[in-house]
Parts: sequence; C-alpha cells; structure tokens
Amino acid sequence: MIDFLAKKLEWLDVHHWFYIFNDLSLFYIIIPFFVLELIRYAYLKRLDKDLVLDSIANVITFGGFFLIEIILGILAITKVYYWVYNNISLPHLELNWATVICCVLLADFAYYWEHRTMHRIGIGWATHTVHHSSPHFNMSVAYRFGPLDAIMPIVFSLPIVMLGFDPILVLLSEVFVQVFQTLLHTEIIGKLTKPIEFIFNTPSHHRVHHGSNRQYWDKNYAGILIIWDRMLGTFEPEKEKVIYGISQPINSVNPIVVFFHGISRFVKKLGQIKGFSNKLLAFVKPPDWMPKQ
Amino acid sequence: MKNSTLVFRSLGILIFLAGLAHLFSFGVDTSDDSPTPTTETSTATEQQPEAEVPTEKPTANSAYNPETDPLIGQWKVAYNTKDFKGAIVYKIKKEGKVFNAYTHQYQDENGYAQKAEGTKTLTITQFNGSKGKGIYSIEYEGEQYEVDCKIALTDENTFTLSYDYYGYGDVETWKRQ
Ligand SMILES: [Zn+2]
Ligand SMILES: [Zn+2]
Repeated sequence: MIDFLAKKLEWLDVHHWFYIFNDLSLFYIIIPFFVLELIRYAYLKRLDKDLVLDSIANVITFGGFFLIEIILGILAITKVYYWVYNNISLPHLELNWATVICCVLLADFAYYWEHRTMHRIGIGWATHTVHHSSPHFNMSVAYRFGPLDAIMPIVFSLPIVMLGFDPILVLLSEVFVQVFQTLLHTEIIGKLTKPIEFIFNTPSHHRVHHGSNRQYWDKNYAGILIIWDRMLGTFEPEKEKVIYGISQPINSVNPIVVFFHGISRFVKKLGQIKGFSNKLLAFVKPPDWMPKQ
Repeated sequence: MKNSTLVFRSLGILIFLAGLAHLFSFGVDTSDDSPTPTTETSTATEQQPEAEVPTEKPTANSAYNPETDPLIGQWKVAYNTKDFKGAIVYKIKKEGKVFNAYTHQYQDENGYAQKAEGTKTLTITQFNGSKGKGIYSIEYEGEQYEVDCKIALTDENTFTLSYDYYGYGDVETWKRQ
C-alpha cells in the first residue's frame, strides 16, 4: 500500500485522468443528466418559459465568468503561481498517488474556506450571490457564476503551492473539486446511504446550501467532503423542504441583470454608507453589516 | 464555534495533509527514481576508486571531493531536433554548494564550432556521487522554462540528464570532452 502510494507517476497519465473527469464529464454525465432533469420537469409540468430562460441565463453567466477566468489565468496562474512555487515554497513534491490525493483534499479544504469567505464578506457575497440567485435547482445552476468568482480561489490556493505542490496539479485539483460540486446540483437524487452522507457532500447537503429558509443560510460550504462542515460547525441536514434562492429575489432571467446584480446592490449599499473607512469595511464585513450611525 | 477552535482545527488539517504528502515524497524511498539510462548504472560505483585522484581521502577540508567533483569540466551533448542539429559543449563549475553548467561552444552538424554566450543552463543542487537533482532551463517553442531534472552518472565520462515537464520530456546524454 505504502509503495503504491509513493510510486512515481507520469505527468502525462495524471493529466489524462484529470482530463477524463474534469473535461469529458460534461459529455458523459452533466449534459445527459440535465436532459433527464428536463424530462422530469416536463413530466411534473414544471417545464415553463421561466425555467428555460433561467437555464440559458446560467450558461451565459458561465461564459462571462469563463472569459474573466481565462484572462486571470494567463496573468495570475502562470506568473504568480510559478513565482511562489519557485521562490517561497517548501521543497517541491514528487508526483505520486499520495501527493495527488493530498493535493485534491487540500484543494477541497481550500474550497471550503474560500466558499465560506465568499458568503461572509461583503465583496465575496456581491459576486457569489449570483450562484444562489436562481429559484431553481438543476445542473445548469452549477454554471451560474458571478464576475469576481475566479479571484478568491487564487488567494486560497496559493498556500497549497507554497506547501510544495506543483501549480498545475493544484489547478487541476481545484477544477476537480468544482466538477464534483457541479454534479450535486439536482433534485433527482434524494438522500444517499448513511456513510456516504456522513463523509461526502451530496445533492441533499448542497440543496440545503442553496436554501433561502432561514436555518439553511450559510451552511454546508463543502466541495467534495462534508466532514469539513461537520468539523468546523457549519453543517445542517436537509429536513424542511428547501426553498431555493436568496432572501431578496432578483425576479429576472436577464443574464446581464443576473450576472451583475450582486455588484450593483453592493455599489448601492456603498452609496448609502457614510465615511470612507466604513465603505472600506463593507468589503470585508458580513454582507448584512451596516455601520452604526 | 470559537474562532480559535476554527484556526486550530484548520491548521491541524493543513499540517496533516501537507505532512502526509511530504512524507510520501521524501520519506519513503521507492529506490526506482533513477531515469532509465542507456547503460547499467551499477558500474558507476565500481569505478569510483578510479576517480582522478584516487589516493586522496575524502576529508571535509580537502579541496577535491571525489563524491561530487567528477562533474566538473567540459561536457558535450548531441542534439537532433527540428530546431537544432549539432552539439553543445557545456562547462560545469562548482559554485558554492551547487554545480552550474554554462554554454561554452555550439557545434553544427558539420562540426563547425562557434563560441557560446556562457548562459547558465543547468544547476545541480544535489549530487551524491552517482545521482543528483537540479533545475534545467529548456527552450520550448521560443519560451524559456525552468524544469526539475535528474542526473545519473553512467561512468566517469558520461551521465544522463532527464526531465519530464508535463509530459514533454527527454533524456540527454552528457559526454566528457
Ligand atoms: Zn455558496
Ligand atoms: Zn451550488
């Protein structure tokens, strides 16, 4: 077992496995599953214009996010990651099963904190609210991203690079976590067996995360493992029927409105806040924070 | 949950996972981490006594270290790629604790030689007398990359240098001039 975990791997193989899960899964799981969801909606007579337009808006926001991600990727990943890796990192790790698994787990843990931060600071919520603003819950919602959603992961994954993990491996692991999370956006799958629900993030846990019911706010931040939530006090099981969305609904399927509603609400809020230091504080204070007048 | 609890638990998780990765990377010796050289590596140890100054014992103060100094000198590498057909002669110098290889001479297919700029191309950071590790700068499609590499002495006049950069890799044979 130890020998197996420490066995050196070839980059080409590692790339290939990540490619099969990270890239190809769109065709062999995500799209077929979304089709299944559409059939279910049709059967339940819930397939209406709003749902279709909402799904289209989701995919369009993904386009916007992806464009920003690419630009950031070229600037930040190649330059900053490699600078950190070559200058302020622990000894570079070999490529073996143990380091790949640890890297995915660390990326998952970083995702937990990144996600928690996105919910609990003003500027984070200004962009992440986009993901939560759909009143529906299906695979396409997973692609609903805000304009600044690509920035926070960089900050949270740099420490992993500093620990000696190869920047490209870190990046592939982050996408792996993201793709795993994508698969949870469905109402079709109920609760899974107890051990799985205990260890892993599941559709049930992630439905709770998307709930606008008060007890479901800011719960279940996990990517792959729900144990991070259990260990850090943010776990909530699915009991009451989940009502999806945010506390102040946007009531729009216009992709532009969807994509920028968080930022424009945040800017409006900044306008209402008096004093420069208070305005600055609003970026890092919780989204519902208002200075005492 | 208290903030201090959050910090301690998070640090615990980080240290555990990073520690595990480092343990499996540096602590467990899988013994097969030499690049497959073209000839037997085992001869390297047998030939050790025949090093240039065989009578001198390796003492800490001695200027010559038979464990590492076999690398010093001029080495020729033949290339046969789209971009470059010919050979490059490198000069390896010991600088502090590391060995640096500088380009010394270019030779084209017909043996025509031209002086090189003396660019630092390779830094060997670790060497135990037969195997070592370092950083090699390679040029790929006009861009310069610094990649991790490994070297293995085949005999006192030959070593192999191998690297694997995200699947783009090579094994070079360095021959003493
Ligand atoms: Zn969220
Ligand atoms: Zn989600």
